[in-house]
Amino acid sequence: MAQFALRRVLQLILVFFVVTFVAFASLKLVGDPLFNLVGVISGITEEQCEAVARGELEDTFTSGGNIGDCALIQRAKAENHLDKGVPQRYGIWVINMFRGDFGTSFVNGDEISDIIADRLPVSVRLIVLAQLIALGIAVPWGVAAAYRANRGFDKVSTVGSFALLSVPNFALGVILLYFFSLRWQIFPSRYENHGWWSEFKALILPAATLALGLAATYQRLLRTDLITTLQEDFVHMARAKGLSDRHIMYRHALRPSLFSVVTVFGVNTGALIGGALVVEQIYSIPGVGTELVEAVLRNDPPVVVALIAVVAVGFVLVNFLVDLVYAYLDPRVRSA
Amino acid sequence: MPDNSHSVKQLSVQNLSVRFPTVRGTVCAVNGVSFELSQGASLGIVGESGSGKSVTARTLMNLLPRSAEVSGGVEFEGADVRRLARERVKHFWGVKMAMIFQDPMTSLNPVKKCGTQISETLRYHLKRDRKTARHEGIDLLNLVGIPEPKKRFDQYPHELSGGLRQRVVIAMALACDPSLLIADEPTTAVDVTVQKHLLDLLDRLRKERGMSLILITHDLGVARRRCDEIAVMYAGRIVERGKPEDLFEDPRHPYTDALLRSMPRLNTPIHSRLEAIGGPPPELINPTEQCSFAPRCTLAQADCLQSVPQLSGVIGMREIACFYPANTKRGRRALAKNRARGKTAAGLQMSARRHTSG
Amino acid sequence: MNVVLDEAEAKKLGCIFWLAVGWLGVLVATTSFAPLLPIEDPSAIATGPARSGPSLDNWFGTDALGRDVFARTVYGARVSLVVGFVAIAFGMVVGGTLGIIAGYFKGSIDLIVNFAFFALLSFPGLVLALLITSTFDRSLRTVSLTLAVLAVAPIGRLARATTLLYGEREFVQAARVLGARHFRIITRELLPVVMIPMAALALLGMGVAIVAEGGLAFLQLSVEEISWGVIINDGRGIRDLQENPHVALMPIAAMFITILSLNFAGDRLRDYFDVRETAF
Repeated sequence: MAQFALRRVLQLILVFFVVTFVAFASLKLVGDPLFNLVGVISGITEEQCEAVARGELEDTFTSGGNIGDCALIQRAKAENHLDKGVPQRYGIWVINMFRGDFGTSFVNGDEISDIIADRLPVSVRLIVLAQLIALGIAVPWGVAAAYRANRGFDKVSTVGSFALLSVPNFALGVILLYFFSLRWQIFPSRYENHGWWSEFKALILPAATLALGLAATYQRLLRTDLITTLQEDFVHMARAKGLSDRHIMYRHALRPSLFSVVTVFGVNTGALIGGALVVEQIYSIPGVGTELVEAVLRNDPPVVVALIAVVAVGFVLVNFLVDLVYAYLDPRVRSA
Repeated sequence: MPDNSHSVKQLSVQNLSVRFPTVRGTVCAVNGVSFELSQGASLGIVGESGSGKSVTARTLMNLLPRSAEVSGGVEFEGADVRRLARERVKHFWGVKMAMIFQDPMTSLNPVKKCGTQISETLRYHLKRDRKTARHEGIDLLNLVGIPEPKKRFDQYPHELSGGLRQRVVIAMALACDPSLLIADEPTTAVDVTVQKHLLDLLDRLRKERGMSLILITHDLGVARRRCDEIAVMYAGRIVERGKPEDLFEDPRHPYTDALLRSMPRLNTPIHSRLEAIGGPPPELINPTEQCSFAPRCTLAQADCLQSVPQLSGVIGMREIACFYPANTKRGRRALAKNRARGKTAAGLQMSARRHTSG
Repeated sequence: MNVVLDEAEAKKLGCIFWLAVGWLGVLVATTSFAPLLPIEDPSAIATGPARSGPSLDNWFGTDALGRDVFARTVYGARVSLVVGFVAIAFGMVVGGTLGIIAGYFKGSIDLIVNFAFFALLSFPGLVLALLITSTFDRSLRTVSLTLAVLAVAPIGRLARATTLLYGEREFVQAARVLGARHFRIITRELLPVVMIPMAALALLGMGVAIVAEGGLAFLQLSVEEISWGVIINDGRGIRDLQENPHVALMPIAAMFITILSLNFAGDRLRDYFDVRETAF
């Protein structure tokens, strides 16, 4: 168990570094961050600055309304470590991050730790709610379908789950918004937070939008695994013990059948932290996803990398938890 | 004392048939099986794979898949078992009747502690509270001869050896003190050395508790010393029934006879070949109206292929379903006829080695 | 248990499967020959009164600019299908190859490949797509390849798992004992069995790719051409939804039926090769 846990921890740490490094390196391709720092005069080249140093050029550049000199640019570069290579900058970034210093936005100078503190809780609440709704629907649904597999209810519910899986979540979002918010006005159409109750109400529709597709996925997985488990001898044994079908389904068959669901649950949770962007857009939720889209569009590399790092950490943590859940679900894993 | 209790009829199975519709046709797993069992008695049901012995047991335990078509009557201590099944009566199976399965490796839930799986029955059926159930569970582990029962109670099945697991399974089945225990090949999957211990344990428990036992096995030797009566099944029918000593000393049905010949014995000379049963295994899908063993039987005559021989004889003593029983005058004549022809009425070649029959 | 207890369910693909395949066939045929068919130019404005509902002239009605929604849906299908197909084809070739190699050779290759898949999966997919499309361009090629990269990991992991499962089976061992070369074992023995679950996943994955393209379009980061996502995005404003919902709903319906068909076909295919039964 200890060795197993250690291997997983190492693997997850490695994943974290690979993901953040790739994000970090690829952002070098995204436009020129210097531009956002100093404006159009970021176009001043090294040669021009060398020419200034030699006294061949005047040290005041005017371009598109910006006035600046070589010193300004060099200072900006040095402050943000833009004069160093990517690996070095990445190293500095990682060290700072572990100190709790995520840096500041190149565009508006906001502290990134503030942005994360602001955005992350909303996203986490959205995802937790979505996953709870999804599991709350999927478990009884999957159990009921597997209990009488290939019969009436199962056949109908197969069609139902396929229908749910086939609705793109942006379409589902639009449909739910239209009916529950615009038409019947049960839930607000935008995110609002005047106390936990109003936020809860505002998160129901977006969570449901995410949850219905997830529920269908989980239901399919659970159903398949349950059908396999129900052929096991210990299920026959439980029936021979005279336990009720409900007792057998929930107390005996469910737990050994949760592995696929738990695995996909882990993968999904990580992906959802940043991947709920579409839903966050539809319902104007100020979450990580929305901020990520905005940061990409406004060319703000420190924010993008920091948020991707948050997503990666989330993914890593959730998947580690999933491993612990495996150990809870199957005692054989514990002694392996 | 035991002889008195034997006279009280506990279980009565009348003309039981079980069919499974499949894509390829209807599988007739059990065809008109009847037997009775007295309180505290033990019955061995012996047969090869597909003979219908397990399906019979599962019918009693209400474990058949829903697609199964069952007919016939099952009466247990005055109650109509099939009606109880239809009405989904609680606290009957697992309480009055319990069952243990072949493979202790797979018949325990791998994700639940052994103890929980025992006390669960007590809590579910007898409404014991957690603490009492635990105490009784540990007592049960003790009863089935598991050392350190307190420690074992909190262990998971994978931490126990096969023999111990089967003891846990037995403890589980005994939890609510059933009056009938059905053991479906209880020792097939464990080491030979453990087999004897388990069989002795079952025997001891049966006698101590006045419980009846149906022991299902493919091994005639296993059934011999533990059962008051043995029923031999072939292709969904009981073909011979009687006391173990009669069956072993003087087998009448050609199948029983062949089965005994295929068994190694202490008194057979070294290097003598065991006799395999020739011919194809029985056809279970849409079987024709004939003796199912006829295609493999060295005594088969024309009338064996025309109708099904019914089980007849003195009930409680010896019953055989055969027109030409082995080791009788009729049987010897039939064998001689077939030998003269070189093949049986069903077309089975008479090999030189089969001459001992009859 | 002594008797094989088949449920009375015969092994057949069923009429829903063929219905799904039929729809996909019609869709591919219509979109392939769209320029030859008597339908409007999808970009022509004022083909009818703006924001009009379905009529004989404009089967799916018109949008705010009077463009024919039916023509747009047909042409939009071309882009969506191409994106879905390219993404999955690429995912199968790259992911499948890597997965089979990793599962067959095991050892350090497997460790690296599996790790790469895991890392790729831990990247939020849409974010990666967002990064790429905002960095490069929004051409059909870029969007298709972006989604293709996303398809590699899930398909590759399945290929690897299936290879691991079959790699030790007798027929592979037998080939190895007979002295077959690795390449031959992989292409002749493993590929055929790995292809079956991969094909099933590919159909499901195509649906996912089409939806992902729609998601990008929703964030206005997808292709410049007309795709289903683009049309739906055009019609999703509150005013559009209230006055002419058909602009969004018609392509949603087309998309829904297509993805449903892909899902059904994929699932039936998977069941067809792997039948399970239940105890109850």
